[in-house]
Amino acid sequence: MSDLLKDRALKKEKKMGKDGRPKDSISTVSNVEDPLHHDDTRLPTENTYQLGPYKRHSVPVITEILKDVLTCYLQHETYEAEWSRQMTKTLCDVIRARVKELMIPRYKTVVIVNIGQLSGQGMQISSRCLWDATNDTFATYSFKNSSLFGLAIVYVVYFE
Amino acid sequence: MEEYNSGEEVITYTYTDAIFQCIEGVIGGTDYNQNKINQWTASIVERCLNHFVKQGRAFKYIVNCTIMQKSSAGLHTANSCYWDTATDGSCTVRWENRTMYCVVSVFAVAVA
Repeated sequence: MSDLLKDRALKKEKKMGKDGRPKDSISTVSNVEDPLHHDDTRLPTENTYQLGPYKRHSVPVITEILKDVLTCYLQHETYEAEWSRQMTKTLCDVIRARVKELMIPRYKTVVIVNIGQLSGQGMQISSRCLWDATNDTFATYSFKNSSLFGLAIVYVVYFE
Repeated sequence: MEEYNSGEEVITYTYTDAIFQCIEGVIGGTDYNQNKINQWTASIVERCLNHFVKQGRAFKYIVNCTIMQKSSAGLHTANSCYWDTATDGSCTVRWENRTMYCVVSVFAVAVA
């Protein structure tokens, strides 16, 4: 069921506002994955009686991975639209693979990569998470050269 | 099949519509302002998170918001997740007006 929802782009243009004047904002949705529609066909698993993770992620280690990957891939590059589009996806996959290699069990990973052109524009990125602060954490690294900036964020979330 | 499809529409429409309303409520009708942008992103993120938490489902949420001033510059965003695709999901909404772009991503990770 979730396959139908994946890769579906929903375009919603609200051209007219409430009072009849044309609105100047446009919204586009890309890739909605709905976690509500899963079948309850998971096999019942035995209780492990494990109360918390035996091994946690180390933020400096993940930051080092991000620094390594971003510097290696972006250092001598200049911004180009098509190349950047590919590179963000590539970097996401590379970082996810490197974090997986740390082999910390029972952790889910979310990786976000932004690559943008430097042209004096203003920008702000914020995030907020609702999670268990004792087990879950995040790491970020930003890289800049003369023509582009790259930002990588990794969230690691414990799964009981 | 028709009923199934329209049911699907309602669920996804609810998520995206909720996020859209959160964005619109904070920066709808405003122009880019360097002094307020910190407050805006914090508000959008806070509103989105509160909305999803109120639904009372057993999920951990990660909400990410990017606001960028409109100029000739390009921006690319991608995300990659290692999780259980049967129970976890994400939603990204891209919003723009005359002076700025806003991209909000919500990731919902099942607790157990």
